[in-house]
Amino acid sequence: MRADVTTAERIGLTWLRAAVAPVGAFGRRHDDAVAPYGPGDETRARAEIAGVVALAERLDRDGVARVRAALRAVPEPAPILGRARAGDPLSDVDFYELGRFVDALAALARAWDAAAGAPERRPPSVEALRAVLAPGREGAGFYLADAFAPGLRGARAAFALEEAEYEARRGEIAARVRAVTGIDAVGDEFVVLRDDYAGPLPDGVFVVRETPTYRAAAVRVVAPDRDAALERLAIEEEGARRALAERVAREADAVAAATRALGALDRALARVAFAQRWGACVPELTEGRVAFAEATFAPLADALGARGHRYTALSLDLRGVAVLTGPNMGGKSAALATAGFLCACVALGVPPPAREASLPLPSAIVWIGGEGHEDRARLLSSYAAEVVRAGDALAVASPQTLVLVDEFARTTGPREGRALLIAVVEAVRARGTLALVATHFDGVAEAAGVPHLRIAGLRAETLDAVRASDLDAALDAINAAMDYRIVDAHARETDSDALALARLLGLDESVVDRARSLNERSTRS
Amino acid sequence: MYSLALAHAASVIVVGTAKNVGKTTTFNALRAVAMRRGIAIAVTSIGRDGEASDALDGEPKPRLRLAPGTLVALAAGLVPRTPALAILGSGAESALGTTVFARVVLPTMCEIAGPPTASAMRATIDRLRALGSGPVLVDGAIDRVAALAGGDDAVILATGAASGSTIARVAAVAAETIARLTIPGRDPQHERARVVRIAGALDGRDAEELLADARDATVVVEDPTRIAIRGALFDRLRAAVDLRCERPLRVVACTTSPRHPELVEGREAMLAPRALVEAVARATGLPAFDVVADLAA
Repeated sequence: MRADVTTAERIGLTWLRAAVAPVGAFGRRHDDAVAPYGPGDETRARAEIAGVVALAERLDRDGVARVRAALRAVPEPAPILGRARAGDPLSDVDFYELGRFVDALAALARAWDAAAGAPERRPPSVEALRAVLAPGREGAGFYLADAFAPGLRGARAAFALEEAEYEARRGEIAARVRAVTGIDAVGDEFVVLRDDYAGPLPDGVFVVRETPTYRAAAVRVVAPDRDAALERLAIEEEGARRALAERVAREADAVAAATRALGALDRALARVAFAQRWGACVPELTEGRVAFAEATFAPLADALGARGHRYTALSLDLRGVAVLTGPNMGGKSAALATAGFLCACVALGVPPPAREASLPLPSAIVWIGGEGHEDRARLLSSYAAEVVRAGDALAVASPQTLVLVDEFARTTGPREGRALLIAVVEAVRARGTLALVATHFDGVAEAAGVPHLRIAGLRAETLDAVRASDLDAALDAINAAMDYRIVDAHARETDSDALALARLLGLDESVVDRARSLNERSTRS
Repeated sequence: MYSLALAHAASVIVVGTAKNVGKTTTFNALRAVAMRRGIAIAVTSIGRDGEASDALDGEPKPRLRLAPGTLVALAAGLVPRTPALAILGSGAESALGTTVFARVVLPTMCEIAGPPTASAMRATIDRLRALGSGPVLVDGAIDRVAALAGGDDAVILATGAASGSTIARVAAVAAETIARLTIPGRDPQHERARVVRIAGALDGRDAEELLADARDATVVVEDPTRIAIRGALFDRLRAAVDLRCERPLRVVACTTSPRHPELVEGREAMLAPRALVEAVARATGLPAFDVVADLAA
């Protein structure tokens, strides 16, 4: 599904992508590899959505949050496994990190069980890798344990013996230094002031520097057997690491499969969390119709909720092309955006937030109306931007395209603007395109021969009694007075309720009264 | 010095007035005492320390010989391959890789470079404390000691000939550094009528403005490392205002290194060790030690 930047912003696609972003690297990788669903993908898209809805119904919200937190904590094993496969040496830190991966999967599985997840969808485990690392696991840590190679225990015992011998000899020399000079040689080097002691230093002490006032000395224990034991130990430990790395490399395919499963789970749970937050349904996926009942345009609902305002769910049944009219602030743009948003949801395998829905999988969604960032960057005026976008849309329009037109040509002269809009609607209809066209121009639907829908509008009796104290209160009052239902217009022209709204939004009463008078006079004539 | 530092602290950080003033030597001396007493300690470092030569100037530096049972926090890239360490956990990222927490199983020599930031160092010290029961020793850096401000950690200041060519100069540098690091914490009962809170560093311009407008005020900085002024200006400010910090440091001792790191006129240069340790103790009002010559004052 294609959507340019402006369209993606207007229909909430950008918001949606962020809202269903996976929490972990596996999920992001998985998501990057999955193209949005398009025409012909209906069966696969519906199956994914149905799976998400079933999961959302089964898992509790806190449980989902905990599973996602566990997913986020799974470390990335791929670079280590890649090196192991290439035959590069691994370090003990690498083995520790693989152990962390194994533990993180176990924690994830526990979180899944605690959330009452279905056994058949339980996150993967990598028991073979766990078994490979098991001798070295100390709690959450890792040690290259004796069990990893037959020669390790002996080499370590020999080195420890030589070390003890080394330390004993070093201690003897330090004791002689103390006895002769009175200096406690705690560090590797010590200084003997000639004022304190100028005699010979004990055997085993080497003078490092000498000046007229002091001698800097160090205890030196020559221990070739210890050095040899250390070298033997190094050979044994490297051999153990090499053998362990080879065993780890043999588990690389299983680990890769597990990370792919984690990616899929991450994607699914992101959608489950979305469904639990905003509601969900399993839609019918059919061409030529955008229909939904009690749908939520989640980006708007989210923004309204953040400001303490209530969102009113919308319903629509669009077949082919229709014109939508109605009052300002009545939700025409929201209806357009909701139609695009729900189509974007199903294209991404996200359950649409609606009680029920019948939606297409469009190949492209195009928004025409106003100007976007990219239009401003091209220094286009609103009108120019709309015309350019309309031209582009018509060039690619097909029955698989959803076109959303929001008050096209509102910034030009109303007579020519209306005519142009009618012509565009006719052209869209001729191409068999799905389109919803919001406008304040009169008679467009009838002129273009398409259905006319309207927002039911303000309940005037409610609104007239309202005196809002501030903008937030005014918005709440409008929200309470507005009937957002989309109904058949039955060829009746609709008011914009512009004057009533202007009064409520704080415009001077005398100005509003004067406008009302002018409007009535114009209507009578 | 070991007993003094750890009398009331679970961790000790050693910082220096300059490079090559015996900071790592002091750190190693503390470790050696713990080793001799059979105390299992935890060690880490700010920056790359413990390598055979200093990464910047090539000067020889003491290596760390770690005894079995020692806990260590170091960058993953510095974990010795032999003898193997027991890896216990991982933490913050650094230029040399993830910070790894490990326990020494067999005696080993290694480089230590811990996390690069003050906040990560605080977390590292706390994790080392949680992993073991012994004290945590940190080979630190004075500009990152802020992480320990306000805690129960002890600070030891290493000073030496690298910071001044005469005993008087070394003692003066030590005294000024101690004066800055030991700025007292806030005392609401005895604050002056006007309290000026300095966000971020207190620099020369701040100091001049305070001297012009806020004499007799209580001036509060976040911690002592935020004081970026030196010398006479610092002395004037400290005399004029009641200088305080939100999170004080607890400096418990100084160490001295009489050897100059560079040859002077082609010869090794060294200040008189006993006179130096006595002068630093006198100038700072703190116990001073020369851990190499086994002197104390």
